[in-house]
Amino acid sequence: MEIFEILVLVVSFVVLLTIGVPIAYSIGISAVITMLVSIYPVPAVTTIAQRMATGLESFTLLAIPFFILAGQLMNRGGIASRLIDFAKVMVGMLPGGLAFVNIVACMLFGAISGSAVAAASAIGGFMNSRMEKEGYDKSFSAAVNITSSTTGMIIPPSNILIVYSLASGGASIGALFLAGYLPGILVGLMLMVVAGVFAYRNKYPTSESASISEGFRKMLNALPSLFLLVVVIGGIVAGYFTATEASAIAVLYTFILALLYKEISFKDVPSILLDTVSTTSIVLLLIATSIGMSWVMSYENIPQAVSEALLSVSDNKIIVLLLINVILLIVGIFMDMTPAVLIFTPIFLPVVTELGVHPVHFGIIMVLNLSIGLCTPPVGSVLFVGCSVANVKIEKVIKPLIPLFIAMIVALILVTYIPEISLWLPAIFDL
Amino acid sequence: MKEKIDSLLGKTLTVIMGLMVLNVLLQVFARFLRIQVDFTEEVAGFLLIWVGLLGASYATGKGMHLAIDLLPRSKSIEAQKRFNVVINTIVLLFALSVMVIGGFRLVYITLSLNQLSPVLEIPKGYIYLVLPLSGFLIMYYSIVNMKNENPFGE
Amino acid sequence: GKENDVRVIKLAHVLNPQHSVHRAMLFMADRVAEKSNGKLKLEIYHSGQLGSESQCLELLQIGSLGITKVSTASMEGFAPSYKVLGLPYIFRSKEHMFKVEDGPIGKRILKDGEKAWLRGLCFFDAGSRSFYTKDKPIEQPKDLDGMKIRVMKSITASKMVSELGASPMPLPFGELYTALQQGVVDGAENNPPSFYLTKHYEVCKYYTLNEHTSVPDVLVISTIIWDRLSDQEKQWLQEAANEAVPVQREYWAESEAEALAAVKAAGVEVTQLTEEEKAAFSDQVSVMYEDYKQDTLVYNLIQQIQAVE
Ligand code: NA
Ligand code: NA
Repeated sequence: MEIFEILVLVVSFVVLLTIGVPIAYSIGISAVITMLVSIYPVPAVTTIAQRMATGLESFTLLAIPFFILAGQLMNRGGIASRLIDFAKVMVGMLPGGLAFVNIVACMLFGAISGSAVAAASAIGGFMNSRMEKEGYDKSFSAAVNITSSTTGMIIPPSNILIVYSLASGGASIGALFLAGYLPGILVGLMLMVVAGVFAYRNKYPTSESASISEGFRKMLNALPSLFLLVVVIGGIVAGYFTATEASAIAVLYTFILALLYKEISFKDVPSILLDTVSTTSIVLLLIATSIGMSWVMSYENIPQAVSEALLSVSDNKIIVLLLINVILLIVGIFMDMTPAVLIFTPIFLPVVTELGVHPVHFGIIMVLNLSIGLCTPPVGSVLFVGCSVANVKIEKVIKPLIPLFIAMIVALILVTYIPEISLWLPAIFDL
Repeated sequence: MKEKIDSLLGKTLTVIMGLMVLNVLLQVFARFLRIQVDFTEEVAGFLLIWVGLLGASYATGKGMHLAIDLLPRSKSIEAQKRFNVVINTIVLLFALSVMVIGGFRLVYITLSLNQLSPVLEIPKGYIYLVLPLSGFLIMYYSIVNMKNENPFGE
Repeated sequence: GKENDVRVIKLAHVLNPQHSVHRAMLFMADRVAEKSNGKLKLEIYHSGQLGSESQCLELLQIGSLGITKVSTASMEGFAPSYKVLGLPYIFRSKEHMFKVEDGPIGKRILKDGEKAWLRGLCFFDAGSRSFYTKDKPIEQPKDLDGMKIRVMKSITASKMVSELGASPMPLPFGELYTALQQGVVDGAENNPPSFYLTKHYEVCKYYTLNEHTSVPDVLVISTIIWDRLSDQEKQWLQEAANEAVPVQREYWAESEAEALAAVKAAGVEVTQLTEEEKAAFSDQVSVMYEDYKQDTLVYNLIQQIQAVE
């Protein structure tokens, strides 16, 4: 009976998480305990060891440390300030201009670096003090910064979409990347609407518009940073290189750029590499133990059991997607994005594909959904970083966050029920 | 002792990470220059296993792994210390059972059956040695972490 | 309780549920259940749910998985007698191959894996591989002269293609379609269902059924699990496997016929060879058998196989 195995898995996992065992270890331990229900201890632990090692032995996964490394290089390489200047030229003249600048800069930096946390800290560090100086409410600026940073998870390149591709058993990374553009931009626009209304009501100032030559110069300055997106995404979509090779190109490109800007030198390389390893290995251990857990789930036929249970509630696509979205929103409140994608993709993907949802579309739904969780307590990495760089208490940010959450949820509903928003671009490029 | 291990491990990881970058750049450029280099994918996979698991032990030493510590945080400092001992014992048991015992069993099986990697024909058992190695390091760090006087910060 | 009286053996493979091997496994599971009155059960995982071929073999050795299906090529590293099955034109015909597999030679090869904790239960048919080319048809070995042919990463495969006069190109399978399109290689080789399913027929319009190698699949059980079975249970399992063999052969023949009809309908020129025309190919690669003179195990097997009527 699967019920017993499911119970063992869920109860052990929840108990371990609650007492504060690191998530990656909680995943691995509950996987072993579940396996002990049906096989002897030595084969059980050896199997999990084998799944952890072979799970990491993947060329695709290599893109993750590389995009993280590129993000580190950008963080230290003076790219954030150039992107902010560029965003100011683009949207600074609108009412509540600085809020828009914050959103656009977060989208750009998040897009290029692929890290919401990096975007929140790099852009937030610059923007919050400037916004405060011009009379913006501190917690409002932080809320805008936090939510808009998450768009970088969906706008390519994106590590989480690579993780999803792995968990889904090989959805095309090129297609996922292209599919992320419009939903990511849609979220950005929804956030701007909320920020615009808020700024209008509070009569926040527009920033002084720059002269044309000044604007032109700032755009030129940002061009090399923006060009990275063309190289990386263009190269993948045109088939010049794989996502992994693109990530290595991104490392080389940002490294040269940062050297040219004279923001880093060769002697900084070891410390940058070690920082990258630390961040990476947190993700990789999560991936390794999750692969162990998802193997155990298949072994105990858990995905089929959950799938049957879900479909017995309803086999209507709209209702099942709604149900899955609600479950994922709750999961996102408590869990970080990477483990959530790794654990829930093998469970939910077979259900929705049976109902005719495209795996690429579902990947976008999942990532968009879980991005909201990144901004909620108790587990919300972007929320924590955003609050700490803005120097505001989490309790203070919740109120301005609520309308922004509603905007994100509206975007999520649109993306869930209008598959074309995700699938139109990949279809154009025949992916 | 911990500082020495940290520093040695940190240096090793820095070197592996550097090799990973060079390895993939080599692959990309070889492709552009149409030179046949057939080992880069295999090497990349092996380096990733090593960096992932050794790095995981490094991160365990630095207390960097994500956790939900709301419950222990809400308790008194004495209770926090007890929570910390329990948490680290659990992590230690995982490292001992899965990574050390399971890992050594895997190394034993693959070495005794002489399993070789497809391209470079390296015995797979050597690659898997990183499992027990990282397992020992995680056990060591868990013991060190148990003695933490203020385990949940602030 | 009653649940504990039932023994479940887990069987995992990487093929999809439509494949002849999977359908034969379902038949085998039914037979096992019938024979044992439900006391012994096979639980089948398809499509690589529990890992790739080599990972599943490792899980058998670890003891967490019972049975898996692999190509006999994957067994060569563990049990050298499997090597003989990969030699070109080692079988004169399908009938000859079935007779060898079902006879004492087949039994001996299946048992050879036990020292690596992998006991063979039975062979499944995986057809014969033949050349397909882009620009001109292959009618005799001479036509291969100077052609670049993609082969699997295996010494035997490369050797065979060189002996036939072409240059072997060991490309990864995933890159083959584009390589054919761009003319990096002039052709490749595979069995009809794979030629059809990989859509390589969209690029290569000539398929010559020269049938150079017939590497079978093998069903393997972990000896850790096997040794735990009672003699009665072993017998049920082995009988059911033997009964699944002819069923799978029939399913395979159907899928081969369907694939050939489909590629013909897509405009591929399929060339059947006469016995004499085929002999021209086999004569040219027979020198490869001499390479095994030092390897008495394989060399004896070659001679024994050739002696089977
Ligand atoms: Na991104
Ligand atoms: Na959250």
